[in-house]
Amino acid sequence: MSEVLAVFGYALGTALATGLGALPFALVPLVSARAVAHANAIAAGLMLGASFGLVAEGTAHGTAPTLIGAAFGVLFILATQRWLNARDVVFGAEHGPRARQALLIVIVMTVHSFAEGIAVGVAFGGGMALAVAITVAIAVHNVPEGLAISAVLRSRGSSIVRCAAWSVFSSLPQPVMAVPAFLLVEAFQVALPYGVGFAAGAMAFMVFEELLPGALTIARRPTVAVLVTCTMIGMVLFQRAL
Amino acid sequence: MHPILTVLAFAAFAAAAASLGVVLLVFRERPPIAWLGWSNALAAGLMLGAAYLLLSSGGTMGAGPLAAGSLLGVGLVFASHAVSGTADLDLNVLAGLGPAYVRKVIRVHTLHAAPEGVTIAVAMSLSPALGVFMALAIAAHNVPEATVLAAMLMSRGASAARAAAVAVMTNLGQILLATGTYALHLAWPAVLPWTLGFAAAALVYLVLAELLPECYRQAGHTSVAVVTILAMGMVALVGGGLS
Repeated sequence: MSEVLAVFGYALGTALATGLGALPFALVPLVSARAVAHANAIAAGLMLGASFGLVAEGTAHGTAPTLIGAAFGVLFILATQRWLNARDVVFGAEHGPRARQALLIVIVMTVHSFAEGIAVGVAFGGGMALAVAITVAIAVHNVPEGLAISAVLRSRGSSIVRCAAWSVFSSLPQPVMAVPAFLLVEAFQVALPYGVGFAAGAMAFMVFEELLPGALTIARRPTVAVLVTCTMIGMVLFQRAL
Repeated sequence: MHPILTVLAFAAFAAAAASLGVVLLVFRERPPIAWLGWSNALAAGLMLGAAYLLLSSGGTMGAGPLAAGSLLGVGLVFASHAVSGTADLDLNVLAGLGPAYVRKVIRVHTLHAAPEGVTIAVAMSLSPALGVFMALAIAAHNVPEATVLAAMLMSRGASAARAAAVAVMTNLGQILLATGTYALHLAWPAVLPWTLGFAAAALVYLVLAELLPECYRQAGHTSVAVVTILAMGMVALVGGGLS
């Protein structure tokens, strides 16, 4: 029992770390349309880099399940978009298309945390000796994900506290999924590539459907290309180092 | 056969594949504008898949040289766009074109092909199987790219044969860069993380600066996203088993 509590506690700690991603936006004002476009580009690069990492992890466990998972990830976001488009979405003080994008990124990142929670639980299943190392690695890994969420929310009118709160919220599935995955490692190991593929598909679709077109219609192309390429490769190297 | 000849042969095949880009236009001389958007999205997805394969194969290499090579790639493509005055150029406008526009587009296509040559060489040095697959992916990518170029040339009255010839010519630099980079790897293997970072960053940069911007207006966000992800996923999953 105490081990289960420890897994939950560690995974909850990693979720809280996601909120740190909101901090840089306390220093940078995101008011002009161009700044919003740049924030979109940064979020796109971070998410594309993260989806590369997920695909690499998924294919290590099985190529076909990753592919199937990714297809469902894309379909899920398509369906969610349809559903949101038919409604007048209110998010904080915003409503209309800006609120819809803010809500969509929270949904995408929250859904992707379910898969990450499974990965955390399965990793703890390998033994608690490495628990602290795993926890620190995942916590640090969550910070740029909070950065991606905050880039989108902040540029659509949310306060820093709201950005941090939604970032933490998006990671709450991690402790929730880590516990059953830890207890039933073998069953969840089978599910892992599907979940990770699903998360990669959902994130990549959000990048190409919403974030990049939003960035490219307003910001200059070289700026978008530099921001996306640098944040993407930065994310890949960063995740690899953990 | 010496491995450098393999590189030469496959890079030449990839460049020659560009000639297939006119096939579609023989049937339909003025294609619907959405086709051009999807062609660009397909080309973009194949390049991103190639970048994924490079980055995931470089897993054990030092982060420093990879990052430095990536910055070099970003900087060089940025500079080449800035110097040639093509940073905000749409590659696929079909109406009301002057010869200056056409010259610029041909220049962009020529510059674009260079990092793809480096990509083939890096993949060949990582593993011959990955190299062959990468050359095939670049070859496949050259086809829709050439379709967009040829549609532009043929709308200005060029014959299909001439358009195909120009498309292949813009890709000849690929052969030179592929064999040159591979020779560099043979002479000095420590340079591989640098060229890998360079190629991956340049591929991603080119997708964002050249291929994706205009196609969103031509084909709609959803279909562009689906085509890009499908192409990227195919390359990543098939090639993932080879590295």
